[in-house]
Amino acid sequence: MDLDERILPISTLSDEELQEQLTALGAGLTPFEARRVAELIGRDPTVCEISIFNVEWSEHCSYKSSRATLKEFLPTDAPNVMLGPQEDAGIVFFTEFEGKRYGIVMAHESHNHPSQVLPNEGAATGIGGIVRDVDCMGARVIATGDPLRFGDPTGTNGEHCKWIVRGVVDGIWQYGNALGVPNLAGDVYFHDSFDDNCLVNVVALGLVAEEDIIHSAVPCEAFDEPYDMILVGKPTDDSGYGGSAFASKIIGSEEEKAEDRGAVQVPDPFLKNVLAMRKANEAVRRRAKELGLKIGIKDIGGGGFACGSSEITDAGDMGVEIDLDEVHVGLEHLLPEVVTCAETQERYVLAVPATFTPEVLRIYNEDWDLPNVYENAQARVVGRYIPEQIYRITYQDKIVCEAPVKAVTSGIAYDRTEQPREYAGTEPQFYQPGDLGETLLRVLGHMNVCSRAYIYRDYDTEVQGFAVIRPGEAGAGVMAPLEGSPAAVALAVDGNPLYGLIDPYWGGATAVAEAMRNVSAVGATPAALTDCLNYGNPESPESFWEFRQGVRGIADAARNLPLKDYEGAPTPVISGNVSLYNESAAGKAVAPSPIIACTGVMLDFSKAVTMALKRPGAALFMVGPRKDELGGSAYYQAMSLGLGRNVPQVEWELESNMMFAVIDAIQVGHVAACQDISDGGLAVAISEMALGGFAQGKLGATLALTAGQMTLPGPESEEQFLRPDKWLFTESSGFVMEATPGHEPALTELFDRYNLQLVKLGEVTADPSVEATLDGERLLKVGLEQMKEAWLGGLGRVLK
Amino acid sequence: MTEPSGRPRVALIQFPGSNCEWETKRAAESAGMDCEIYRWNRPAEGLIAYDGYIIGGGFSYQDRVRSGVIATKEPIVGTLFDQVTQEGKPVLGICNGAQVLVEAGLVPGLHPGEVEMALAPNRPNPKERLGAFVCRWVYLKHTAGHGRCALSAGMPEGYVWPVPIAHGEGRFTTRQTDLLDQLLSNDQVVFQYCDASGRIDSDPAINPNGALANIAGLCNPEGNVLAMMPHPERASYLRQLPYELNDDWAAQRLSAWGNAEAMLQPGPGRLIFDSLREALLKRVPA
Repeated sequence: MDLDERILPISTLSDEELQEQLTALGAGLTPFEARRVAELIGRDPTVCEISIFNVEWSEHCSYKSSRATLKEFLPTDAPNVMLGPQEDAGIVFFTEFEGKRYGIVMAHESHNHPSQVLPNEGAATGIGGIVRDVDCMGARVIATGDPLRFGDPTGTNGEHCKWIVRGVVDGIWQYGNALGVPNLAGDVYFHDSFDDNCLVNVVALGLVAEEDIIHSAVPCEAFDEPYDMILVGKPTDDSGYGGSAFASKIIGSEEEKAEDRGAVQVPDPFLKNVLAMRKANEAVRRRAKELGLKIGIKDIGGGGFACGSSEITDAGDMGVEIDLDEVHVGLEHLLPEVVTCAETQERYVLAVPATFTPEVLRIYNEDWDLPNVYENAQARVVGRYIPEQIYRITYQDKIVCEAPVKAVTSGIAYDRTEQPREYAGTEPQFYQPGDLGETLLRVLGHMNVCSRAYIYRDYDTEVQGFAVIRPGEAGAGVMAPLEGSPAAVALAVDGNPLYGLIDPYWGGATAVAEAMRNVSAVGATPAALTDCLNYGNPESPESFWEFRQGVRGIADAARNLPLKDYEGAPTPVISGNVSLYNESAAGKAVAPSPIIACTGVMLDFSKAVTMALKRPGAALFMVGPRKDELGGSAYYQAMSLGLGRNVPQVEWELESNMMFAVIDAIQVGHVAACQDISDGGLAVAISEMALGGFAQGKLGATLALTAGQMTLPGPESEEQFLRPDKWLFTESSGFVMEATPGHEPALTELFDRYNLQLVKLGEVTADPSVEATLDGERLLKVGLEQMKEAWLGGLGRVLK
Repeated sequence: MTEPSGRPRVALIQFPGSNCEWETKRAAESAGMDCEIYRWNRPAEGLIAYDGYIIGGGFSYQDRVRSGVIATKEPIVGTLFDQVTQEGKPVLGICNGAQVLVEAGLVPGLHPGEVEMALAPNRPNPKERLGAFVCRWVYLKHTAGHGRCALSAGMPEGYVWPVPIAHGEGRFTTRQTDLLDQLLSNDQVVFQYCDASGRIDSDPAINPNGALANIAGLCNPEGNVLAMMPHPERASYLRQLPYELNDDWAAQRLSAWGNAEAMLQPGPGRLIFDSLREALLKRVPA
């Protein structure tokens, strides 16, 4: 068969001419990269080949700027890791039940650029992609988490920002609810650095028995018997063509945006439901297991069929011959580069023994009736795996791609330079407000603190029926997803972009600590992390430095906040994603935003606690010294005092001990309610405990504080009194706990054993208000009704 | 027919887009039934072998045209219709299942086969939420007379219970001006949205979707068909009830802290499945 005559004659072109032709093809490859492609395949490439390398070598697919940094810093292995970050998702040990070992599958992605230009479809396909990542590991998808960062709805671009918020939230619920995956966690921040580039991250969890794990690779059995490549799902069209390249560049002008909308994929949760939600895919896996056959499944996401088909092939050290004419399409007359690189949603590529192929086709096409679920959706044999490590695609009797598999998948790497960015901000000078009660209401009502119910009411948190603690009830959601077993999984997502603006290193480290604290505060033990690293243009040395600092912070936190009960092993980062080029066309990068998801496990779901106050008269305790750490705080934001400078830092040993002590105390029943201290500080933590997750709280709290408590630790000569307003609102890490009546001495003793000092704050009251006194004099007193109005109505006031 | 074990058999109808099959099956089995998930394209006559039916939640056929309407064109729904109207077999429709039963003309069923009501898009409450979908816990009052509906016969009259809703189109409504009066005089209004004390009010905090007369669940005149928007399978175990309800259930859950077995005791939603089991056993003596 002949090579396709649509060749890019690289060898005859000058750099300028080559650049021109690449631009005309819509390729983001540089002339240098295009010449490298020609070198690797030993001739001038076809247009199809250029398109394939263009997506494979995009930042989004190849991590060409970030890979070395991730390798250099992040700890990815620990004794509880069942699968590290080499495939679509990582897997961490969950529990043993009825003789089987179960793992929790975790994946974490971003869909930032698509969500900026087409918020609804962008956010929806983000969920679609992450669910495929988890599903293709052989797991049941049990939860999603949705960390979101939006522009300032009260700023000059407010109306546009609100349009994006609405579209993104609609996209999330329309896709996630229809699919049938409950939302278990999420967080939302608003900041004007996201005005032109929102961040829409998504996390998904799955449950899998170790024996059911399926790899995204052609099994080694394929060396001994024929294996077919099956493509299943929606018919390929031109949607999402160029999507990965779009994700790897800065969003441009309005005209460019209009063009880029074509690079956003089209979601279909309905077809996905039939494929992924314990239906068709599971039927195929179950049957393969019954027959003792080894199969491979990979999702098709960024980079389209080319990416999925080359990676599943390469992961099995094989080659493949693909007949593109066999691909079922939704449009006629598609060019081969479109069929290979379009990012049509709801598709998977499989590797199955040829003898099993007829049954696989029957399961998809007849049992689950794909062609009638979605027009022309189906499973088809599109190729066969071969021992020779060649990636060969034919189309209409021409070879349109023929390259060594490794050349296609191994990508390209860059050494970027980093240059520290100086932060010039200083701490604001201001007097303590006269009315701290009024101040508390302002902080509680601030858009970065107030209740998120306005958004998450649209998310189905109950589907699948596994809920133990849902979003809002605590900093982490908890579910018991394994029928018959009391084991539970917790999930929290965190990352304060304002901390990252002041100091990207502490932005990364505090994101890890905060996610782990949230998991600990429900009584679960942090088991694994995923990271989504959202930064600006890596070709800018300052942006690249921010990225490097963030990764350093994450890595240091993961190592220094080790796993509990695993002798100091790091808390592993088992999966993740890097999203770069998050900037406005004017060159303003987003606030450095590493977003961390932490999964926790607990042996017995019935021991989980929420933050809501439980019993009048119960004692309230705090652990975690208050420090002058109000940089980036909600207090400064609510009072319009700027960012400040003193960003919260993490004292590793103290932090780790606090988390372990809290987990132990909850597990033995000393603690009836727990909340970690973060945005808004102690004052907000206590208020949220009184409000309860759904603002149905009926109890209050009195805090009897002393000047002694407000004295910063240090040598006596340098002792310093932290002003009450700062003491109440500083975001230094810590926890507030309501003791179980009668357990107070045991609780104190337990914290003693960790060398931690518990501070008795006061007690829970039947009077529905929060009151604080300093050496007997009232600092503030606010009624619960007023707090409810400020807190519950906060988002409605800025978003409607 | 009924298993030798004495457990009645119920078929849970699965459409493309159904997404509550497994938790609904669990809830039914916990209540002592055998529950089989029955795929839409299996032979319709196979349904005859079951004692009763559940149509669960989800987005059948992507809510195309109107929620639930496409599913009613499937042959299995024809068979189900006959079994329910001619044989008097019970059927429970939850959420999307309720939408299917209304679109199939089984509920309110004054003239079986005629679509007399609609489950319209929620009336949004812009103070409370951004979009049109709403997922939250509500309270229901069992307003039908005791034993009026086979699917709620296990509940005392006036029983108030918490249960979650999750829907975008759950507002019972009709254009027939006298229909509501007929339903009330027929005692077909099985559940109404209320507050924790049982007070029924049009306040959006109480009536979450703006349903006519706060209707959350309706039965047919014969009482063997129940269409309800809330999800009893999501309130079938104490574990599922949020502490934050701050009611007797929450207090019960708090006292069960640290005791997984106690947390797996029935929640109020189980009473619906218990009622279904009893209805099946009554029909088919073991």
